[in-house]
Amino acid sequence: MRYSSILGWLSLLGLALTAYLVFAWAPIEQAMGFVQKIMYIHVPSVLVCYAAFFISFLASIGYLWKREEKFDVTAYAAAEVGVIFCGLTLVTGAIWGRPTWNTYWTWDARLTTTLILFLIFVGYLLLRRFVEYSDQQARFAAVIAIIGFLDIPLIHQAVTWWRTLHQTSTLFSKKAGVIDDPLKWMLYLSIFVFYLLFAYLLAKRVELENRERALKRLLANAD
Amino acid sequence: MIGDAYVILKKDLILDLRRMENFVAMLFFGVIILLVFSFALPQDEEMHKNLAPGVFWVTFLLSGILGLSKSFQMEKEMGSMEALLLAPISRGSIFLGKMLGNWIFVLVMQCLLIPLFSLLFFAPAMDHFGEMLALSALTALGFSSLGTLLSGLTTDVRFKEILLPILLFPLLIPLLLAAVRILAGILVGEGFQGELDWLKLLIGFDLIFLIIAYLTFDFVMEL
Repeated sequence: MRYSSILGWLSLLGLALTAYLVFAWAPIEQAMGFVQKIMYIHVPSVLVCYAAFFISFLASIGYLWKREEKFDVTAYAAAEVGVIFCGLTLVTGAIWGRPTWNTYWTWDARLTTTLILFLIFVGYLLLRRFVEYSDQQARFAAVIAIIGFLDIPLIHQAVTWWRTLHQTSTLFSKKAGVIDDPLKWMLYLSIFVFYLLFAYLLAKRVELENRERALKRLLANAD
Repeated sequence: MIGDAYVILKKDLILDLRRMENFVAMLFFGVIILLVFSFALPQDEEMHKNLAPGVFWVTFLLSGILGLSKSFQMEKEMGSMEALLLAPISRGSIFLGKMLGNWIFVLVMQCLLIPLFSLLFFAPAMDHFGEMLALSALTALGFSSLGTLLSGLTTDVRFKEILLPILLFPLLIPLLLAAVRILAGILVGEGFQGELDWLKLLIGFDLIFLIIAYLTFDFVMEL
């Protein structure tokens, strides 16, 4: 069996197990109640999204440096998967925000940063669509991924000064006991499973992109 | 390097001076945006005071982007792009020349836009002409650094008219936020003193993207 199918089966099993445990085992959070359970999708999604954009950033530098196609394929695939998880973060956040903050959307620093990040990488994907497949496309996309990623700290700083409402990160908080143990372990499990799913999707997307490019080359040679 | 950049800058400025229509079009576009704002927003002095910084910078962004796209389009139309790239000068010099050309172009536009803004939207703005121009110089630096890079990148791309703002505006959000805040401080008569943190962010943005754009321009302009 190829490693991508192994990843696929593992993440399927993991997701089923997580879904079961979230509802059957994890206790209901006291302050927020049942809605808090969306955290097990929201937090892993955003962590996967950061990881994906970071991989895209590194692969873009790698491409500009080494000029090997595998870096370009990785950067593209990671950005695409990252955009999906970024969108998932925004949607689940909105659903969570409605009962907790009484609004779907608010111009809070973290929300705004995530939205801008989403827009930058949607722009990246559009650029990929609008430029013909070539090494030019790879170079242009790499430049956008690099400046987009480097812009994130500035955007975050700017919108934090602008306004803040989002609860601070509970998971990476230095204080002990901010998050109860069962909830914490549940969250760790769901994060782990989401990373598995991410690895699977990334591997699949890279595979698909490689085949697409092989086909394009074949067609170009046939003409 | 500086000498080469100066030659490119001089060439661009002479061309701009000879073909005034670009500049006139850009300026009139700015006037039209200001008019649209005046019609669309309520005629209330007190309210205009709060809206003034936002309206000013939105006008700046929308008319400034027209100036950006012309800087490489010109080379394209006259078929001098290849000649420029074949010239024995570094890509960095081309970038600096073009960037400074755009910067001066936008600044001259601001010199005329500030009085018009005062006339059409917010009368007290004229009292702060010097400070607004100094702030414009800082904002326009970040704007033309990223803008020159991205307009070079989108020259050959399909739908570049739409792709340039899609890519550029999200990246410029920190710059826009800082500029709006500092201008709000200037308009209430605090000068630059009121918003020193934002000023640092603005200068930081300028420096970071001047350097990054300078470095990545090589990859955008490969033959």
